[in-house]
Formats: sequence, structure tokens, C-alpha cells
Amino acid sequence: MTDRGVLSSHDRRNPGVRSVIATVQGLLLGGLLLIGLGPVLWLAKSAVTPTQDTLRAPLALWPNGFDFANLVTAWTRVEIDKYFLNTVLLAFGAWAVQLLVAMTAGFALSVLRPRYRKLVTGVVLATLFVPSVVLLVPLYLTITDLSLINSFWAVWLPAGANAFNVLLVQRFLDGLPREVFEAATVDGAGPLRLFVSVVLPMSRPILGVVSVFAVIASWKDFLWPMLVLPDPAVQPLSVRLPALQRFVELDVFLAALAISTLIPVALFLVFQRLFLNGGALGGAVKG
Amino acid sequence: MTTTAPTRQAAPRSAVRPAVPPRRRGKRRGTGLAALLFLLPMFAVFGVFSWLPILQTAVMSLQETNLVDTPEFVGLDNFARVLDDPLLWTAVRNTMWFAFLALVIGYPAPLVLAVLMNEVRRLRGLYSALAYLPVVVPPVVAVLLWKFFYDAGPNGLFNTVLGWFGVAPVAWLQDGGTAMVSLVVESTWAAMGGTVIIYLAALTRVPPELYEAAEIDGASVWRKVWHVTLPQLRGVLLITFILQIVGTAQVFLEPFLFTGGGPANRTTTVLLLIYNYAFASSLGGDYGAATALSLMLAVVLALLSALYFRLTRSWSTT
Amino acid sequence: MKSSRFTATAAATLVAALAVAGCAGGDQEGSGGRLALTVAIDPGLEQGAVDAFNARVAAFEQANPDVDVQPQEYKWDATTFTAQLAGGTLPAVFTAPFTDGRGLIERRQVADISGEVAKLPYAKGFNAEVAKAGQAADGGIQAVPIAAYGQALHYNRTLFTQAGLDPDKPPATWAEVRSAAKQIAERTGQAGYAQMTAGNTGGWILTTLAYAFGGRIEQVSGDSAKSTLNTPQMRSVLKTLQDMRWADNSMGANFLYDWATINQDFAAGRIGMYVSGGGNYGSLKAQNGLKPDDYGITTIPLADSPDAGVLGGGSLAVVKAKSSPAVVAAGVKWIDFYYLSKLTAQEQAVSDAKTSAETSQAVGSPELPVFDRALHEQRQQWIAEYVNVPVRQMKPYTERMFDQPLVPEPTRSTQQVYALLDPVVQAVLTDRGADASALLAQAESQAQALLDRK
Repeated sequence: MTDRGVLSSHDRRNPGVRSVIATVQGLLLGGLLLIGLGPVLWLAKSAVTPTQDTLRAPLALWPNGFDFANLVTAWTRVEIDKYFLNTVLLAFGAWAVQLLVAMTAGFALSVLRPRYRKLVTGVVLATLFVPSVVLLVPLYLTITDLSLINSFWAVWLPAGANAFNVLLVQRFLDGLPREVFEAATVDGAGPLRLFVSVVLPMSRPILGVVSVFAVIASWKDFLWPMLVLPDPAVQPLSVRLPALQRFVELDVFLAALAISTLIPVALFLVFQRLFLNGGALGGAVKG
Repeated sequence: MTTTAPTRQAAPRSAVRPAVPPRRRGKRRGTGLAALLFLLPMFAVFGVFSWLPILQTAVMSLQETNLVDTPEFVGLDNFARVLDDPLLWTAVRNTMWFAFLALVIGYPAPLVLAVLMNEVRRLRGLYSALAYLPVVVPPVVAVLLWKFFYDAGPNGLFNTVLGWFGVAPVAWLQDGGTAMVSLVVESTWAAMGGTVIIYLAALTRVPPELYEAAEIDGASVWRKVWHVTLPQLRGVLLITFILQIVGTAQVFLEPFLFTGGGPANRTTTVLLLIYNYAFASSLGGDYGAATALSLMLAVVLALLSALYFRLTRSWSTT
Repeated sequence: MKSSRFTATAAATLVAALAVAGCAGGDQEGSGGRLALTVAIDPGLEQGAVDAFNARVAAFEQANPDVDVQPQEYKWDATTFTAQLAGGTLPAVFTAPFTDGRGLIERRQVADISGEVAKLPYAKGFNAEVAKAGQAADGGIQAVPIAAYGQALHYNRTLFTQAGLDPDKPPATWAEVRSAAKQIAERTGQAGYAQMTAGNTGGWILTTLAYAFGGRIEQVSGDSAKSTLNTPQMRSVLKTLQDMRWADNSMGANFLYDWATINQDFAAGRIGMYVSGGGNYGSLKAQNGLKPDDYGITTIPLADSPDAGVLGGGSLAVVKAKSSPAVVAAGVKWIDFYYLSKLTAQEQAVSDAKTSAETSQAVGSPELPVFDRALHEQRQQWIAEYVNVPVRQMKPYTERMFDQPLVPEPTRSTQQVYALLDPVVQAVLTDRGADASALLAQAESQAQALLDRK
């Protein structure tokens, strides 16, 4: 099982091709460093730069020295340690609910294929057409009616109603070779065995994608948790940070953002390792 | 708002046939109940937190409410008022312009990136992490940075770079002609990472045998991309295309954060208009108008998607 | 897609949901059988300020043993406000800006507390022009003013000095503003004068300038209102802006400012002068690290017209709609006890100033009297010890602010009319060929349509 793309190993041995690859990949890496790492490094820089320097000369490197005290102030003022746990719990729950809903529904629609699948897919798809901004009030009323205010479920459950995930998983499973499922069925596997032992292992790449989306979205989400979690004791960092903005200087605020951004970066790297490595898929899909 | 995935949203039903079509149709008895059980979590969550609020939205579009007292049914008044708003057609035009620009600039970018990244042999994880980082950058920081990049004075970053080549400063966001393009560039940067990792995941599924077969026929690199990679990605590309259309039709964050719809309504989009109806123009605002316009938008998108699937279905069978 | 089964399921879910929340409606019971009163507290305060707030809560409960005060974090935000209004989850007592006061009252989105307010000892003592922001059409005070300010011209003293202008003699006429702006732009390369244009602030500031030129943007008579956007005064405001922008090129390069971004650029030394609320120093310093030495403030130049005046703003305290009489009574007591006592009682004024100073918030930024001038000046003496703003640099404003007539904001569809003016000022500043008078005429007819809808 070779892990390869467009270029064959033969191509890669050709000196001409090799120098082109090297150039293209150099440019690619440079470009990605600039647009991907650049803003993050700027944030890191601004976290230890006085406000006035950041505002007056955004790209200058410490024209008037560092301000490391920002980090300490941010940590204590925002009580990052206290809200960190809420952030993680919210992300974890939202992730679990989204995966459960998307995988079971995707499996049912794509592999079990009930007769009404087109209807269901259509109704799921239709939810994407209604702008979420206008659903804010009805959705909030649903949450208050269910007395879920200040409960994590108020964030977790609506997160699961994500048509994007369902359709993404469904489409991914559609692309898997059906012979595998049929062979498993012939071997006597029921739907549950099929799901757990055959489909889930084959779904690692899409699990990775959905996981990354779910976790990052949860980490960034601010308006909804602010509404349904008015009690500071259960709020995540994404809600606490903007609340503070009015009372702290920009440099401290940026320092707090920088510290809290470390979380999703770390999580991305974890998921990346677990799910998105190209080679991980190899054995599973050998058709 | 609640669970917006980082990329543009939406996806089709059965635009493409599965890679290997099912041999027997309607086989496997007893899966009816199993399918229902597996769909249960989705029905529960969507029913309460998506379908029900959407139905309520539809009801609200027929009502006038101050959100405190019992709403009053007003028939189609809200729809009539929205259609009378001279800003509506400006917003529709702007949204279509954004969607077009995003298609030209934003749609190919992640595809090119993903295909290139898939060729990387060492440190591929680093590449995809880098490509995804913009999604992780907090919006507050993105706004600060891009406003500085787009500063219309000669000291703005982009204008400084232009200055090296003797080009006069461009007003970027401050000029009706360039504001929308500037927003599209920023939004491409902000959303690209998500689409890139979708493509990367799909690229792992391209069977190496296909490339090998093409090589036996002496295909060049370009031909392999054109005849193997892209067709193999077709299913995903079809989704991301309609995602992109539905997503850009609902573009909100960029004009909201960067221009507030300005200058002089040149970047006011349909969704910004909906937001203004509901929240900004007056308090507890005109929720009737906001829901009415949302429903009209939803119907247009539904028709557009139906048409799209019809077209791509006939296309994909030939 | 809407099969009857689905509708039935949805309905069943709803019924179940309503049953769970069935007890909502009556008064919430607090601990120990007391009346629960939720009150707004700013989110993100420093611990010292939270402690001070809680101390006030305890004192209130001691004075009113039948009330259980429950602080709830609350910040004025259009999006969350709308949802909380619909959900009935706003705090019983919360605050709102002047701009929205009349709208809240007209739409019956706040409780009518005028009966309870009238019982307060100083009910008749409110500064008449300030109180208008919270008055219903019948004159009853349904929203209590708790802080007031007038619009002012903020300027950067350092840029003035660099441009060869005397920072102690800021411009006193619009012609002087224009020439000072030109001089700053030419000699320092920064924007001489900048103006907010986005997120309804464009309309807010244009209205401020129209007032300063002696105009008004609406005329109310009885139930009907007439939009007067296209007036000679408004046209000369836009002409002045056009001249500064296109003839002098003294307004810099950024024309999509809102409140937060113009503050940021002013604090960064990129703006010579701009118009905003007189109490702005606090947020300039707290959020953007403004260098105190840079800061200058003066009165907005008024045209030589009997109608010229200064647009005023401020904060209102209100009680949430549908509150029971008991909650209204307790709510007004809290407004009196917490907000107004800071203005009227020495002990409260001093301890509030002390807390603010200790938690690095500004004390002593220019404000206008919510009651009369004598009480206001008395209070300034009480808190003098804690003042931490550059008072001397504020003198050009504070010495003359009482000479300027205060004019309340327009009362009908305020935010919507502001929203219509945003694109007008943006067009004038970004399009050399913009026809100001045609744009105004168009905005006026749209505004009239809004006013007629009522």
C-alpha cells in the first residue's frame, strides 16, 4: 500500500521534476507560513507589546521594549485557569454530540439506505438555507422553554443540529466501496456490527474533519453560549474574553487571546495526528 | 451562529452516484427499523433545535411583534414591506457580486492548495496545520490585522507594498469599487483552511492504481491531475461548490466586521440587511421583516439547489 | 416535507417544553420567601468592583428585608437584548442608552414605572432636557436617567503642537476647525478631522452637527412627525465635510469609523479632532492606552443661531416589561438606591468614586448634571480626591459646557433614521461626485415613510 499522490516515485527521481517540486514546495511553505503562522505570531508578539506600540506601529518589533506583565495580568484578570475547564467541557460535549448525530445519520442514510432517504436528506439540507442569525430568537425560546439556561446541554444539543456535518459524512460514506458492506452483511454482521466494526474504522479521515470543525467552532462560538449561559460560573473563555474587553487595555486583551488560542492549536495538532494522517487510512480502505 | 462550520455551508443529496453502484436494490430486509433507530439522534436534535425553530420563523414572518406582548398576525405585510425596501435590491446585487467574486477567487484557492499539499512527503502535518491556522485566529485579531493591511493611507501594509512598485495607494475598504473584492480576499483567507482539510481527506481516497494506470499510458503530471485527481474529487467538489453558493448567499461576518455595509451600502448584503432588520435598526427590531426576508432567501436557495442537482445529475451520468 | 406526523411530534415537544416551563409568569421567589429582584451588573468588572457592588446589594437587602437582590451580568447589546426580551430573561432592572429610551417606551418593551418614580423625593428635580430621553408621550418618566453627557470635540494636543497650533486655544468655530484640520493634515500627515460613519454612528454624528448648525432632523407635532433631513443646516454640514475631504484633503484616508475604531485611531495619534460624547476619556484610556498628555477636549462650535445646540446622551435605568407591581416598586427602589444615590448622596458618591479609582477606571470625566447644576458641582467636590483624569486639559470644555443649550436626540425611530444617514455621510466622504442634497432628499423621504408607519 503505497502512499502516493499525482507524482510517482519515478517522477520524484527525475532531477528536473525534483527541482520543480522543491521550488513549488518552498513557495508553498513560505506562503503558508506567511498567511497561516504570520497572524498567530503577530498575536504572540502583540501579547507582549504595549498597547500604544501595537496601535501606532502594528508591524514594528518592540519599538519600546516588551511588556511581559501583560501575560500575567491577562491570566489573573481573566482567570483563564477557571474558564479553561468550561471551554474544554463545552468543546468536548459539542464534539461528542456532533459526531454521534453525524455518524449515525450518515450511516443510516448512506449505508442502510431507507426508502425515505432522499426526503430526509432534503429536509436536512433545507436547514442550511435558513440564515442562522434569524433563528436566534426562536432557538433561544426553545432553550428557555426547555429550562436549559445555564446548562451545557443548551450548547451541546443545538450544536448537533449541524446539517453540514451530516451531509459531509453521508457523502464520504457514499464514496466507500459498497462491496465491503455487502461482504460483511453476507458474513452475518447486523447493522450495529457493520457500523462499529466496518464503517467507523473506515471513516477516520471524515471523523477527523468533523472533529476539527466541531472543536474549533465550539472554541470560537461566542454569541450563543453568551445567551444561554448567563452565569459566569459556566461560561467558556470565548464568552468571558469579550465581556472583559471594555475594562482592560488592548494589550492585556490580546495577551488573553493569545493564551486562549494555544488551546485550539494544540487540539488541532492532536486531531491531526489521530485522524488526518494520510497513511492512517491505507489499511482500512484496501478494496 | 451556533454551530457554523468554518467553511461555507450546505451539501447536496445524491448529485453523484457512489463510486461503485449498489448491485441489488432494496435488499436486506429488517434494516428499516435499524435505519430508523440510527436516525433517531438526528431526528431528535434536528427536530427540536432546527426544524421547530424554522417553523417558528415561518410563523413569525406572518406576525408583527414587539417580542413582549402576544404577536399579531398581519398576513403578508412583512413580505410586502421587505419587497418595498429600496435597500433590498442593492443588497441582492451586492450579495451576487460577492458570490461571483468568491467563486472566482475563493473556490479554486483551497483546491490548488490541497492538491499541492498532497504531494508533500515530509512534514505534511505541518502544512495542513499552517493552512488551517487562519480559521483558529480569533476574529478580533483578524479584524485588527486586516484593517491595518487595508489601511487606505500610504502607510497601510498593502499600500506600502504597492508603493515599492510605484503604485499609488488604493482605498481598499474605503472605496465602493474595491471594498467587496477586499472582503472576498479576507474571507478566502479566513475560510480556506476548512475546505483544504476536506479536500485533503478526500484525496486520501484516490486509489493509487488510477495514477499508475495513467502513467502506463504515459500521462503527464497535468493530465494526471486533470484526468485522475479532479474526477476522483468530483463528489466532494460538487458539494463544496453548492456549499460555497449557499454560504456566500448568506455572507454576513465580513461586511459586519469590516465595513458595516459601507461605503454607502456598497457592501450591504442580504444577510446584513436581515441582521439590521432584526437587531440594529431598532430595538427588539423588526423581527417580522427579518424572518420574512430570511424565508424568501431560503426559498431562492432551495430552488437554486434543486436546479443545481438537476443539472449536475444529468452531467454526471454522461 | 411537513408531514402531519412531524407537526404532531413538534407540537408534542412544544407542549412538553411548555409544561416544564409552566411556572414562569408570576413573580420569582427568592430565598427565604422574599421577592426576587434580578439586577444588572456589568460583566467583566474587576473583583474590587464586584465586591463593592455586592456590598451595595447587602445594604439594600438590609434596608428592604423582603427583597432578595440577585445580580445578573448584563451588557447593552442589540443581539442578546432582542433574544432576552423575547425570552423574558432580562434582569428586572437594567440600563440602556438615551438613544433607545423613547423607542423602548413606545414599543412597550419596558415596564411603566412612572407612578413609582413620581414618588421619589427628587422626581421633579430632573434636568428637563435630560429627562426627556426617558419620558413617555404623556410626560411620565418611564426610564430614569442615571448619567448624562453632551457631545464634544475631542482633540489631540500633541498633534496640535506639532502642527504649530496652540493646544490651549482649540477651534471655536467650524471655519477654525476646518483650518486647524488642514494645518494638522499638512504638517503631521495625520487626519486633521475624522468622523464616525458606520453602525448608525454616522447618523448620530451628522445629527449632532446639524444641531450645532442650528438644524433639527425631525419635527413632532402631536401624533405625527415630519422628517427634516434635507435642511439648509444639514446641507451646510455636508458641504463643510465635502470641503474638508475633497478640497483640503484633511480627513485622512479612513471613512468607515464606528465608535470603537475611531477611538482606537484617536488614541493611536492618527486623528487630530473628532466629535463624540464628552465622557469618552475613560474608554480611550482604559481600552486603548491613550497617553493622557495627548488628550484635549472642547465644546462643539455652535453656529450663530438661536436654535444651535448640543446633542445630549446618557444612560437610562429601566424595569423589564411585564414586571409585577411588587417588582416595579422594588426595582425603582433599587434604581434610587444604587444608581441615583451616587449622584445625590455624598457617602455613595465618594465610595463609588473610590471603587472606580481603585479598579483603574476614570473618575472625573466631564458629565452633564442629571439634576441641577448646583448638585452636580457639589458632587464634583465630594469626589475631587479620587479624580484621575487630566482635569486641566479638559477645561476648554468644562468651563463652557454649561453655556451651551442641550438638545435631546430625535425621539421617533431614532436608530432607523440614523441608519438612513450612514450611507449619506459615507457617500460624501468616499465619492467625490456625491450629490449631498439629492442623497438627503432621498433619505428624507425614506425617513418620512418610517415615521408615517407608526
